[in-house]
Amino acid sequence: MTAWARRAAPTLSAWALCVVLFAIGAIHSSGFAAWDNIRDLLVFASFVGFAAVGETLVVLGGGLDLSVPWVIAFGGIQLSHWASIGGGAGIVAVVAVGAAIGFVNGVGVAWLRVPPIVMTLAVGGLVQAYLLAIGLLQSTGNQLPAAAVDIATSRVAGVPIVALIWLGVALLVGGLLARAALGRKIYAVGASETVAELSGVDVRRVRLQTYMLSGAFASFAGVVISGYVGQTYLDIGNPYLFTSIAAVIVGGASILGGRGTYWGTVAGAMTLTVLGAMLPLFGLSPAGLDIVYGIVILVGVWASTAGGALVLGRIRHHRRRSPQLPGAEVQHAP
Amino acid sequence: MTNMLRIAGLAKRYGSVRALEGANVEAAAGEIHAILGENGAGKSTMIKILAGVTPADAGEVTLDGTRLALGRPARADRAGVRTAFQELSTVPGLTVAESLLFRREPSLALGFVRRRELNRHASELLSRLGLAHIDVRARIDELGLGERQLLEVAKALRDPARVLVLDEPTSALSTEDSAWVLGQARRAADAGAVVLFITHRLAEVRAAADRLTVLRGGVDVLTGATEDFGDDELIAAMLGRRIERLYAERTAPRSDAVLVVRGLRVGGRVGPLDLDARAGEILGIGGLQGQGQRDLLMALGGARRWLDGSAELNGAPFHPLSPREALRRRVALVPEDRQREGLLLGHSVQANVTLAALAQFVRHGVLDVRKETLAARSVVARVGLAEQRLPDAANTLSGGNQQKVVLAKALLSDPLVLLLYDCTRGVDVGTKAEIFALMAELASAGATILYYSSDLSELVHMCDRVAVMVEGRIRSVLESDELSEQAILRVALAEAEHYRSAPA
Amino acid sequence: MSAATTAATPSPLVRRRSRRIPWSALSTAAIMVALGAADVIIQPNLLNLFQIGLLLQTALPLVFVAAAQTLVVLVRGIDLSVGGVLVVANGLTVVTVGGAGGDHQLLLILVLVVGLAAGALNGVLVGVLGLQPFIATLGTWTIFNGIALTVLPTDGGTPPPWLINFTLGAVGGVPNTLIILVGVVVVWRILCATKLGIRIRAVGADEDRASLNGTSVLAVKLIVYSLAGLCAALAGILLAGATSTGTPTAGDAYILTSVAAVVIGGTSLVGRGGGVGLTVMAAMALTFISDIVNAENFSVWVSVAASSGLLLVVVVLRGVVEQVVERRHA
Repeated sequence: MTAWARRAAPTLSAWALCVVLFAIGAIHSSGFAAWDNIRDLLVFASFVGFAAVGETLVVLGGGLDLSVPWVIAFGGIQLSHWASIGGGAGIVAVVAVGAAIGFVNGVGVAWLRVPPIVMTLAVGGLVQAYLLAIGLLQSTGNQLPAAAVDIATSRVAGVPIVALIWLGVALLVGGLLARAALGRKIYAVGASETVAELSGVDVRRVRLQTYMLSGAFASFAGVVISGYVGQTYLDIGNPYLFTSIAAVIVGGASILGGRGTYWGTVAGAMTLTVLGAMLPLFGLSPAGLDIVYGIVILVGVWASTAGGALVLGRIRHHRRRSPQLPGAEVQHAP
Repeated sequence: MTNMLRIAGLAKRYGSVRALEGANVEAAAGEIHAILGENGAGKSTMIKILAGVTPADAGEVTLDGTRLALGRPARADRAGVRTAFQELSTVPGLTVAESLLFRREPSLALGFVRRRELNRHASELLSRLGLAHIDVRARIDELGLGERQLLEVAKALRDPARVLVLDEPTSALSTEDSAWVLGQARRAADAGAVVLFITHRLAEVRAAADRLTVLRGGVDVLTGATEDFGDDELIAAMLGRRIERLYAERTAPRSDAVLVVRGLRVGGRVGPLDLDARAGEILGIGGLQGQGQRDLLMALGGARRWLDGSAELNGAPFHPLSPREALRRRVALVPEDRQREGLLLGHSVQANVTLAALAQFVRHGVLDVRKETLAARSVVARVGLAEQRLPDAANTLSGGNQQKVVLAKALLSDPLVLLLYDCTRGVDVGTKAEIFALMAELASAGATILYYSSDLSELVHMCDRVAVMVEGRIRSVLESDELSEQAILRVALAEAEHYRSAPA
Repeated sequence: MSAATTAATPSPLVRRRSRRIPWSALSTAAIMVALGAADVIIQPNLLNLFQIGLLLQTALPLVFVAAAQTLVVLVRGIDLSVGGVLVVANGLTVVTVGGAGGDHQLLLILVLVVGLAAGALNGVLVGVLGLQPFIATLGTWTIFNGIALTVLPTDGGTPPPWLINFTLGAVGGVPNTLIILVGVVVVWRILCATKLGIRIRAVGADEDRASLNGTSVLAVKLIVYSLAGLCAALAGILLAGATSTGTPTAGDAYILTSVAAVVIGGTSLVGRGGGVGLTVMAAMALTFISDIVNAENFSVWVSVAASSGLLLVVVVLRGVVEQVVERRHA
């Protein structure tokens, strides 16, 4: 087993899970593999994918962002309030403010040393309060600009634009993590803050940057999602708190940071979407869907940590009797 | 023979590292038995097995001919094995009383702890042991390291022991406190316990131990009554056959001062320190463990706040506020703990090696991976690591190779001043020789190296001068003729000398 | 050796404990008292046992969920599934217990056992399988939510009348809810006074050292997570009593609020101590905020902003104070 395969294993297994689920759906119902359905799946998966960009970066850096759902809601609602400045400019402005919200998170976590869960929870609450306030103060029309609706619903050669944008974002974020200095630093900070600091990485700045990116992408996700739905409402982001974190985890990233890829998250987002679309075919209620979701996450995480190492160890053992025991990393030479 | 602790054929491996390979120790009740050995000789592993922290892979431990059921701390405790751990087992969040009587709390039905009783029992225990000055209601994390170490010993003494294991129980203690520990060990032995005493201080062995066993490379290499062996014999047994030319040839340092430190104070306990290091010099930082050497090197590497003092690097003011700033001034630190401070364990060797010098390979934020790979290749070649290991995860490497990765990382930033903290600890002899050769080469190329080692002979052989630290200050700087292991020890142990005169 | 033994009176570093001032308890109490006083000034009729009882009726579900969260946080975990357990218990209370009609108080025990089992499941995932608490309880949170929706698909149902009467009732003029609130704190103090209390503190402070001393970290975690499940189930039962109906989607709102209450109370997320008493005070502070907002007819955002703002201010101030203290000691 090459080093590359070892590192890519969690990502690959997430993709494998996605393909298997899709195949089951396709075998069970012929319409599942139809282009129309795939197109819808891609659109829904891209929503999760956008929401999970920031979560991926933050989690890889050893943090967590609970403000994502409120920043998503912010993206849509604020955009409808700023409709007058024009669609394109409005979107840019909303994404910029999203980054600013991330900035606040980052300052709290990196400089004030507030635990990420608490900081992003509090900031999310403040964003929610702001949305409640403007929602009640200016209840005018609240039309989304056409640009947002266009992004979310038009197609190029039959392919939804959001899917293409998502592909672009995935290439960009994937490239950032694999080829940019910032990507290296994010992994380093997530793997060990101490080592990163002693190696001259500006840990606080890296943290700040991940939270800012998270805010920007969450806000953009809000634009796209509300554009697709055609309206905005306060709870629009709520489902994405769970799914964005779940996509990151199912995609093989470690919640402790330092391990994972955005391509894994893409696979995780697709897996969750395919799962959500196919379970009703088997007559499962939304309640049943919740239960299966939960079990998939638990099994997925267990497999990608302890269980996965066990299975891989077996395979390796069978292939060539390598005497190396798994888990050598935790042992100190005494 | 009755009342005999017999450790037979004990073996344990961690991954690819063999910590113990069939070690044997025999000790009788009523005797203090010292266990000696270099770092990595297997002492800690043996203690962990005795204390039930780790199960052994093979071998057995018998007392009076019956096999002791170990394997879990609670079982070892039931078997009468009491251990004072070097890492300290008192729990930070608890009070002294709670910690001392952990799992021995006087209680009513349903587990209600009788707090007054608890405190009284703890006070009695402490006064019985002569530690009445420690408040049983204080929280463990409010205590100093020395007090915590005393409590660690007290906890091991709270119940009668069949086997009392003292793992470097005096490393943070003053002379009087160390004498107290030795006294308690003798008392326990007189009460019929087997006392295993692990220490690096030969003086303490002479003062307290009746018999001893030397471990090397996971096996016992020497055993017998303490008075039968001279210090040289013991040291030779611990070190084994020295490989030829372990220490590289040195060239003389130049005269120009590179790093000048004046009045440096770090934390509450270290400093004020003055230091001058020249180009091409290897300046040793010596002394017993924990005398502030770590704080000194960390402060120069930008990883500790300076409370006071100033420094000049090549004539320009130098006061790094972060490791990043230090690296920018080409001062690189190789920290103490390569697993926790030096390496991203799950990441590739290449990612580790280039982490501190990423800026060299970046254009517009994008890594030039080819340039990075080339640089990584050349630098791992310099430290003697095969370039095939570059894609491997750091945690798949042996301890020696891991240390080479940490060194390579420091080298890639092309340091003027290299701060090495105990970089040969737990490293095999071959790698040591390579590291020494590299140090000599760097120094002759004009780099300044500050080198702390817990191994005296390394300091003596590799360094031009050795600054011996005692209690946070530089007690003496030894050079050329006066530089010897004995001289360093004499300075470091100035106060501990009287052990030699104490009867065993 | 005798010379060494008798002469060895270790260093006279006499350290008499200066009575430590419990700053976190004091600051939390100050916050609670200030907000409570504000509430009383705005609504003077609150100074009446019946009104207090009503206020506590709305507060108790949060108090119990937050108590559950505190227990888990004390062993350096986090429990996102408290909301899930709450709604399962809530649904069972209206469907099974309420549906049975009559005086089947004992059926409540069944609900509590379910809560205990749900908590134990978390304990197994975290303690035995070694999953990260955040992820393990993220998974069980959705599972429990799904189960709750299966038990009770939509809002509705009625809890048994005696439960509603109980939450409204009083003993000798003292509202039952006040007795329960005091009971929570008393039970916590009792727990602290037991060996289990010491074990929990030890595991929270330092797992490795606790196990070095022969404690089974696994057992402690199993017990703690199970107790958290029990508390969350109690919250679900009391919520049914307080609202006179079942709400299978009520749980999610409690999860993050419970974390907020724990943090405002001053319990450390990284094992530096804390307790349920602190959390109860913080939960009361949060309740006062929403009560004031309701009384003044402010819009909802004021309440959300005030609670989040309080969380942020408290946590940032504590962080700053800690850093200053650390610098002093350095």
